[in-house]
Amino acid sequence: MTKAAALAVEDITAGYGGVLALEAVSVTARPGTITAVLGANGAGKTTMLRTISGLVRPRRGRILVDGVDVTRRRPADIARAGVAHVPEGQGVITELTVEENLRLGALPRKGSAVRSAALSDAYQRFPALAERRRKAAGTLSGGERQILVIARALMAAPRVLLLDEPSLGLAPRMVAQVMDLVRQLREGTGLTVLLVEQNARSALAIADSGIVLNLGKVVAAADAAALAADVGLRRHYLGF
Amino acid sequence: MQEFVEFTLGGIATGMIYAAIAVSLVLIWRGTRVLNYSQGGMAMFTTYVAWLVIRGTGSYWAGFVLALAAGLVLGAILERGVVRPTMGKSPLNSVIVTIGLLIFLEGLAGILYGGQYRSFPAAFSVTGLKIGNFALGISPNDLFTAAAVLAAALALAAVFRYTSVGLRLRATAFRPDVARLLGVRIGRVLTLGWALAGLFGALAGVLVTPSTFLYPNSMDSIFVLGFTAAVIGGLDSPAGAVAGGVLLGVVLSYAGGYLGSSLVLVYGLIVLALVLMVRPGGLFSSTAARRV
Repeated sequence: MTKAAALAVEDITAGYGGVLALEAVSVTARPGTITAVLGANGAGKTTMLRTISGLVRPRRGRILVDGVDVTRRRPADIARAGVAHVPEGQGVITELTVEENLRLGALPRKGSAVRSAALSDAYQRFPALAERRRKAAGTLSGGERQILVIARALMAAPRVLLLDEPSLGLAPRMVAQVMDLVRQLREGTGLTVLLVEQNARSALAIADSGIVLNLGKVVAAADAAALAADVGLRRHYLGF
Repeated sequence: MQEFVEFTLGGIATGMIYAAIAVSLVLIWRGTRVLNYSQGGMAMFTTYVAWLVIRGTGSYWAGFVLALAAGLVLGAILERGVVRPTMGKSPLNSVIVTIGLLIFLEGLAGILYGGQYRSFPAAFSVTGLKIGNFALGISPNDLFTAAAVLAAALALAAVFRYTSVGLRLRATAFRPDVARLLGVRIGRVLTLGWALAGLFGALAGVLVTPSTFLYPNSMDSIFVLGFTAAVIGGLDSPAGAVAGGVLLGVVLSYAGGYLGSSLVLVYGLIVLALVLMVRPGGLFSSTAARRV
């Protein structure tokens, strides 16, 4: 089971200064699944993603990507090992064009033919980006920016996609569109997604399984349907 | 009319040297938010390399090329060895380190080569050009100076715009946090930025020294003017650095020519103050857009 996992977080403890943000957190994600990471503000969701992508160094525990230990590697090397981290908010480089943002995502891949193919794939999948390829990314709307950062993350052909609050600040129509996109990604490519969301209801609607964090600890881990059906959990931690 | 043409063309030629220093400062500022006070000292040092090579081989061009190569290497070594450890600490640390580097390089040059003024050859004739009886106020060497800096700046712009290395450099300058999550090895990019800055500084050194003599402090006042040009241009735009250099060169040339040369540095400050009053971020700054 652990061998087959695309992503295995094993017993991770991490924090900032004297404060522990994560205590003995474990989560396993099978290839081609969506795992929702839920919990209130300050529960440690973002720290968990930052620890996986190497921005925060864990004090204990291991992180395996496709069975390869990437714990304590530098962020750029973890990215090259197949982990794409889309952080919350302002992830587009507004001074670069849409196309330059996308090309940047493909730079770690070998071969210019592979990179151009990734670019035309992205334009095929996201025609709205193709129309604006020469425009500065700063001219895009909030929803378009979210599409761009996800498209850019996919340019590297990652094994694991870490999405931090992709629906934050978006209009309801765009939230549905982004969630739809995340679901399609899993179906199309066998990509493994770790989805951090405040909006627990819409995250569980597309997820296969989920974990609930509270004050840095895992308080529940189960199938998405089971989590969504647990009235006590919903009332205490998920707010719906 | 003749005076005006002379002052304008002469100002552009000198301004291109300020531009080269300004570009080198901008390259470092964009990547690391460090103001490299040792840039002039580095340029002085690489000019001594050129001087030694020219004296040894008799070939100006061997000295020219090796000075530029030395600039690349010196920039990379200083970033890795001296500046890198100050990253992520208080900005004052890097200020003190680069000022220390300046003192170190100037002291070392004094120990190695002595403090006396050395004459340094120009690539081409320094006799003023004329069209008929009309003096242009510039020499073939001034033309070479302007062309060399312009070519280097255009090459840099092409690298920035059309290559993947340039894309990495720009991404790291704008958003290092995003770039490293996309697999950009920030450390290497910063080293490259310092190396390129060393190259531009070295270029400025060999181009300006024929008219200043070579000695351990020979680049100090050029550095101040190059820094002024960089700030006029906005500190984070290479195109702004070139524009700021040319603007400063031309204004100082008019001021020196029409008003007298004793207060040239003061006029430089006045230009700077006027530009910053109208555009506080400098002529080409993108800072306002970025802070949103």
